[in-house]
Amino acid sequence: MENHLLEVKGLDVLYGDVQAVWDVSLHVDEGTIVALLGANGAGKTTLLKTISGIMHPKRGEILFWGKPLSKLKPQEVVDIGISHVPEGRRLFSKLTVLENLKLGAYPPRTRPLFAQSLERAYSLFPVLKARNDQKAGSLSGGEQQMLAIARAIMACPNLLMLDEPSLGLSPLFVKAIFELIYALNHQKVTVLLVEQNVHQALKIAHQAYVLKTGKIVMGGSGDELLADPEVQKAYIGERWSKR
Amino acid sequence: MLEYLSFGLIIQLLVNGILFGTMYGIAAIGLSLIFGTMRIIFLAQGTTIIFLAYICYWLFTLFGVDPYLSLILVVPISLLLGAGFYHALFKEAAALEDKNISLLIAVGLMFLVENLMTVIWTANPRSILTTYTSLVFRPMGINIPFTRLIALLMAVLSASGVLLFLKKTLIGMAVRAASEDMVSATLVGISPHRVNAVAFAIGIGLAGIAGIGVATIYPFDPVYGFIFALKALISLALGGIGNVYGALLGGILLGLIESLASFFLSGGWSDAISYAVFLIVLMFRPEGLFVRAMLKT
Amino acid sequence: MKDKRAIILTVLGTIAFAVVPFFLDVDTSYFAYFLFLSFCYTVIAQGWNFVAGYTGQISLGQHAFFGLGAYTTAIIWLHDITKTGYYFDPVTMMLSGLVPVILAILVGIPLLSRLRGDYFALGTLGVGEIVKVIFVKGGAFTGASDGLHLPSTMFESMKPYYWTGLILALFATAVVYLLTRSRIGLALRAIREDEMSAAAHGIHILKYKIFAFAVGAFLAGLCGSLYAYYLLHINPDAVLKLDWTLYPILMCVIGGNGTIMGPIIGAFFVTALFSVSNIYLVQMHPILSGTLIILVMKFMPRGLIGLIDTIKSRR
Repeated sequence: MENHLLEVKGLDVLYGDVQAVWDVSLHVDEGTIVALLGANGAGKTTLLKTISGIMHPKRGEILFWGKPLSKLKPQEVVDIGISHVPEGRRLFSKLTVLENLKLGAYPPRTRPLFAQSLERAYSLFPVLKARNDQKAGSLSGGEQQMLAIARAIMACPNLLMLDEPSLGLSPLFVKAIFELIYALNHQKVTVLLVEQNVHQALKIAHQAYVLKTGKIVMGGSGDELLADPEVQKAYIGERWSKR
Repeated sequence: MLEYLSFGLIIQLLVNGILFGTMYGIAAIGLSLIFGTMRIIFLAQGTTIIFLAYICYWLFTLFGVDPYLSLILVVPISLLLGAGFYHALFKEAAALEDKNISLLIAVGLMFLVENLMTVIWTANPRSILTTYTSLVFRPMGINIPFTRLIALLMAVLSASGVLLFLKKTLIGMAVRAASEDMVSATLVGISPHRVNAVAFAIGIGLAGIAGIGVATIYPFDPVYGFIFALKALISLALGGIGNVYGALLGGILLGLIESLASFFLSGGWSDAISYAVFLIVLMFRPEGLFVRAMLKT
Repeated sequence: MKDKRAIILTVLGTIAFAVVPFFLDVDTSYFAYFLFLSFCYTVIAQGWNFVAGYTGQISLGQHAFFGLGAYTTAIIWLHDITKTGYYFDPVTMMLSGLVPVILAILVGIPLLSRLRGDYFALGTLGVGEIVKVIFVKGGAFTGASDGLHLPSTMFESMKPYYWTGLILALFATAVVYLLTRSRIGLALRAIREDEMSAAAHGIHILKYKIFAFAVGAFLAGLCGSLYAYYLLHINPDAVLKLDWTLYPILMCVIGGNGTIMGPIIGAFFVTALFSVSNIYLVQMHPILSGTLIILVMKFMPRGLIGLIDTIKSRR
């Protein structure tokens, strides 16, 4: 019996009266990067929201190190080691960069490690140190995304969930973000990555799932999916070269 | 000669307005905190202020506790009362989408407390008379009542205190963050109940300070509460929600408007002017008059 | 299917109410008075229900429209504008409904185009208070703080009041029912759900919002007119008090917001409760109301209809 970091079993989630997630099962192993792909409205964001406790499933289980999550509130989910960077970043724009980072280390267990976490954040995201006292809302899109991720890792998470981190960013920032995710993973952070940028995501992902209208239609290793002709056709386009 | 008189009069009116306006401002800061985190218009703020004014009054009348000294008792009572209000009344309602529910609970509380006070303590106006309540300074011929000056002092000190709390403490930062985006706040581990209770506690704590101010300045009665709440709302609109000093300035501005209007126009019209200003500001500068940056709704 | 049942119930209920005066002496029976009040409140509650429950615009200024309706009726009568010699003249009542509509449009255009949600609620509150001041200061025309007096000699029996009240309650309910089933209702629901996409679909948001606001004002004014005939002494304290805004809101929320039967049930239930507490605990009445509001909001936020639904779905 494998011991997965995160296990989702037979999840059904409703958005009001509409079912957004149908019988979804997946798992995330420690130390890996798992990509969750699919078109807009496929249910990826709903899935992340359910894991982090913002939404609750109608049916099914979510297990973290074997322990069920579904009854927990979002702030409790953060406490046990899952950090969620939501779609659109959603920083505290009226607060400064430093204040955002301080709030990242809000759970009591993270506060003794605050100084170290801050150092780590600055070393991974040097641009933030320069903008320390600026209001978060005044940062550029790419810098905001970095702040959002930095804030999330201030909580020393075991599992970092990112919802479309590359959305709306310039190619330079997109590259930087993916390099960052790779670096974080190298530092033993497990990553669950929801992305529309399929090519880049599959390049760094160990495992990947494809969601379509709320159901998992494909699953496998990153390389497998990258080579899969259907994936190529649907998401990457006809012209594609192996790097 | 005549010009000198009217100039002095204008100054007096301005001074009156500023001195009393700070009480509206304090109430407004409380409202702002509560609205910021819970999106509730706590209409019972004024009635709570009067209730705490009564507490101050009875401490003085029955036990001889000097009103300003009673701060030591009243403020902790208010803070606890605030937290109590939240846990007993608003906890579940704050999470609901329909904000009417919270609004109605606040209204229910207002009815309840206002009439409880009327039944138990009668509708007769009360005032506190001590050695210093009739003390008036007269610099350059302007009347500055001692009690109003102290009220101003209390207002400025408590506003600064609240601001320090919001800026320098982690929980204060959490309140600010939650006011901006509650869902994101939960995603960093902030508990909504914790910040809501803190916001409520501070809101009522400020009501306690305003209550002492009111008790020492005016005769007051249970019905005054609702009117006071409306004035606090107007001050909040003028100052902008989420802006601590702004709310205080908003109160002062309202005090000025009232003072001038009630001198030049007869009684009822000054109220109408206040409401008209309220509407105009709501419509054309909803973020308040004292905020430099534009807030997006 | 559910609709048909509700309609049959309503018809039966109306018939039942209509024949009450034949069994009870309406002039002395407290029960009949209670029914009359309930009809009154139903009218204004349905109005608020339409504005707030269906379109999501919380208006805290209904008392201004109510008072305006009452004063309009009084002024028309005293200046003999419509040259009728009897009460409940439909023309007068219609006019009493339309004058608030004018105010609603005048005020609604700037308020609704600029203010969202809570700010709009505050704005209506401000308008209500301003209207109050205007009436107090209105001089001889509005009778200042003493108000206007309608001759009490016209009051012969409660019966016409009772039936007019019933008719108006039925009218209000029918109006709201038909509107919500119409295209207008669909548009309003779309606006409530997602304003931006409604606009993207070509729905003229402001026009519909103002329409809803005006309907609420009309019904409030109508109710004010009825009440004016009953109260006879129309003064600012009686017809412009905040109670006229808060009680309908309470009734809608207790009964069930955004439903047709909700305001009716709420109106009857709350009126009953207030009447009972008024008889037995006169002084405690507002304390009881306050406590009741808090308890209901805490434990039954979706109102009585919501409770019934919950019980039904548990089976």
